[in-house]
Amino acid sequence: MLAAIRPDDVDVALLFHVLGAMILLGGLVTAATAGIAGWREDTGELQRLAYKTLLLVAFPGLVVMRLAAEWVYREENLDAVPEEPAWIGIGYLTADLGGLLLLVALVLGGIGVRRGGGGALLKAAVVLATLLVAVYVVAVWAMGAKPT
Amino acid sequence: MGFYDWMLSLHILAAFAIAAALVLYTVLVVVGRRADTLDRTRLLFRLAPVGGPLIAVGMGLTLLLGIVLAIDSDEFQLWDAWVMAAILLWALFAEVGRRTGVYYTETQKLAEGGGAEAEVLGRLRASTGARLHYAGLVIFLLLLLDMIFKPGA
Repeated sequence: MLAAIRPDDVDVALLFHVLGAMILLGGLVTAATAGIAGWREDTGELQRLAYKTLLLVAFPGLVVMRLAAEWVYREENLDAVPEEPAWIGIGYLTADLGGLLLLVALVLGGIGVRRGGGGALLKAAVVLATLLVAVYVVAVWAMGAKPT
Repeated sequence: MGFYDWMLSLHILAAFAIAAALVLYTVLVVVGRRADTLDRTRLLFRLAPVGGPLIAVGMGLTLLLGIVLAIDSDEFQLWDAWVMAAILLWALFAEVGRRTGVYYTETQKLAEGGGAEAEVLGRLRASTGARLHYAGLVIFLLLLLDMIFKPGA
């Protein structure tokens, strides 16, 4: 029985990859929702909540997802595949480009939070978070469907 | 891309929709426990409606497409232990989610219907709702473990 449920290393790596991706996408959805709901709000409270969610939920999710992706890549020996499948390219492109956009959103939002209120920089971070939701939905689809 | 690949990708997307709603609700539960005015709680409840459709569509599609995948696959069957365990966990998750929803919907009605501030804040700070929510998170994590490790397969 124990042998039947003993996890392979690749399964452990995959668990962290999926868990990280779920936290990342959930953090982005939450940040986008809070940012859009608080778009016209004077106090900027929901915009700041959006920024904190990006920083404390989405960003750690990105780090876990990206590190575990590398772990899966090595465990599956995907570097030895002669012709890299399209889904791996989509995964790397969305993870890295999306990560860069998330960092830009964090910098813009961070400056916006320091200035106080719900200014243009916080709104720009919310726009980026909303865009990233679409990017990572495509990534999730590609990881599941594995188009060649 | 064949039929199975499409069904699998949509099954995974549906699971991510549930996960996204759970993250949203977790943020609301954590921030809600620290809310100190009725206005702040009303502000937070403005975000909650996004989670409902994500959970509803995600729950429906994960079960439906999961059954389709089990029927279509040559590798595993609907009566495999890990598939049955997943269906059982899904049902448990649905029931815990329903109870959590009832608790927070009543709190929202109080907050938006002129309920006393102390009562609304008390319900948000009480462990009842948070415990139900965290129980849901644990069940979802067990579902994820079951899906990835497929014990007995």
